[in-house]
Amino acid sequence: MLILKILEQREAFHVEELGVDWNVIFLLISMMTIINLMRPTGFFEYIAIKSAKWGKGEPFRIMAIFAVVTAVLSALLDNVTTVLLLAPVTLLIADALEVDPIPFLISEALASNIGGTATLIGDPPNIMIASKAKLNFMDFIINLTPPVIIIMIIFLFVLKIFFGKKLHVKPELKKRVLEMNEREAIKDPVMLKKSLFVLGVVILGFVFHGMLHYEPATVALFGAGLLLLISGTHDPHHYLAEVEWPTIFFFMGLFIIIGGVVKVGLIKWLSVKVLAITHGNMFATSMLVMWFSAFASAFVDNIPYVATMNPLIIDMAKQLWPHLQGIQLLHNPELMPLWWSLALGACLGGNGTAIGASANVIVVGLAERAGRKISFVRFMFYGMPIMILTVFLSMIYVWLRYYVLKF
Amino acid sequence: MKAKDIMEPIKDTLRPQTTIKEAIKQMKLARRGEQRVGVKGMVVLDSDGNLIGMLSIKDILRAIIPEYMTMAELGEFTWEGMLEKMAKRVENMKVEEVMTKKVITVNENAPLMEVADIIIKHNLQRVPVLGKDGKPVGIIYVRDLYWALVKALLGEEV
Repeated sequence: MLILKILEQREAFHVEELGVDWNVIFLLISMMTIINLMRPTGFFEYIAIKSAKWGKGEPFRIMAIFAVVTAVLSALLDNVTTVLLLAPVTLLIADALEVDPIPFLISEALASNIGGTATLIGDPPNIMIASKAKLNFMDFIINLTPPVIIIMIIFLFVLKIFFGKKLHVKPELKKRVLEMNEREAIKDPVMLKKSLFVLGVVILGFVFHGMLHYEPATVALFGAGLLLLISGTHDPHHYLAEVEWPTIFFFMGLFIIIGGVVKVGLIKWLSVKVLAITHGNMFATSMLVMWFSAFASAFVDNIPYVATMNPLIIDMAKQLWPHLQGIQLLHNPELMPLWWSLALGACLGGNGTAIGASANVIVVGLAERAGRKISFVRFMFYGMPIMILTVFLSMIYVWLRYYVLKF
Repeated sequence: MKAKDIMEPIKDTLRPQTTIKEAIKQMKLARRGEQRVGVKGMVVLDSDGNLIGMLSIKDILRAIIPEYMTMAELGEFTWEGMLEKMAKRVENMKVEEVMTKKVITVNENAPLMEVADIIIKHNLQRVPVLGKDGKPVGIIYVRDLYWALVKALLGEEV
């Protein structure tokens, strides 16, 4: 794109509408740095072992508790990290109980995608939507957290129907789990307290960033900087080097490609077509966006998908309300449900197949390395019904909240 | 002196398709010199006699430690009888799945200092010696090298 001058370097680096979204980039880098500093403390192992003991060694209880823990952590951290941290403990617990780890791993992947939908920082599509649509952390909490909680409760019921009766283990195997001492997981209690403090500050910062007019990336960068400072580490280089740079450069490259596609007018052409299909009816457009997003995200990565959809939605808005611009255009009450439909569709759609979301890919990879292959079909057998169910629930939610009750 | 002067000639070898359980039996009965005293590492050869790997007791121990334990710090959360259970899981794995594939070797005409350098740098217990045709002819153990040093300092009196 740059060599062919479809997009000039100046546009790619410095123009907000076309170029790299630095807000997304620095938010990702900061959150990764915070997690890198937190990981060696043993906090995540502690949480996981504690949860398993809390589940009293009962496989189904453990599955449900792990799903909830995964969802909550995924809402606050990124999904891949959450799954990467919990999956090893899951495999250990499954070995201890001598049960098949695959249902546990799949339910965690699904829960992480559901949980990640709930907040601005939970899933990369949300980070990208927030940045483009100028939505803040509380907007996501108010509009997406309630349906995600409902979806999560129903998801747990479905798990119970699937696995509630099947999983039973002998008391002596449960004892193995109950005899574990989660406190032994904590390697660095001082650093743990510092990290939890900073994480708390960051979350508080997110809650108030809209009011205080800080970008989310500013809050996260502050948190990462603060934690690096108070950790007393002599080797910040190590933690910064551990940031997943391939992912970061993937995002930058993606933004440039999408910038080029927007500039040549392809997105605008698509937006005209979409409006022609729905005749400008906003409810129909929302539903189209939601279901199309869900199925698209089930088969292709939802990150490039959302990167494409963001300018598409903005272009549609420009055609519908040519006299509006800036925030008034982006936050037009009639447009808002579209953003939420995109977020719900793209995030929950990731559950459809093994390749639908990064968390799924990670879980399948880990299971295979542990000698338990999860076939594409087996994942879909669990994932697709859950995806359709959750998107269906989201559809009812969007319809009720924005088109019937209108609040 | 050269590598070939202190090496022990290879008498027993493993095949890649052998199961771990069978390989363990063979290692237990392998010859060192003339006696069947068992060895802690054997070379793995393909059907043409080329070296394709090394199987040591450490490789086998590594194989029974589940992957998830290396990914996270979970050593404190194991249970009585776990090692025995995990051992059962690997008994039917093939030698080629467990062996070290990147084998560091020395040429039979390598000076002993080169052998010593390689063994210490790579923290090895043993290093296979390759003959002119590139096929393994012997193994030098840390101990063999040490004896060469002892001889140099104390003469033949040992």
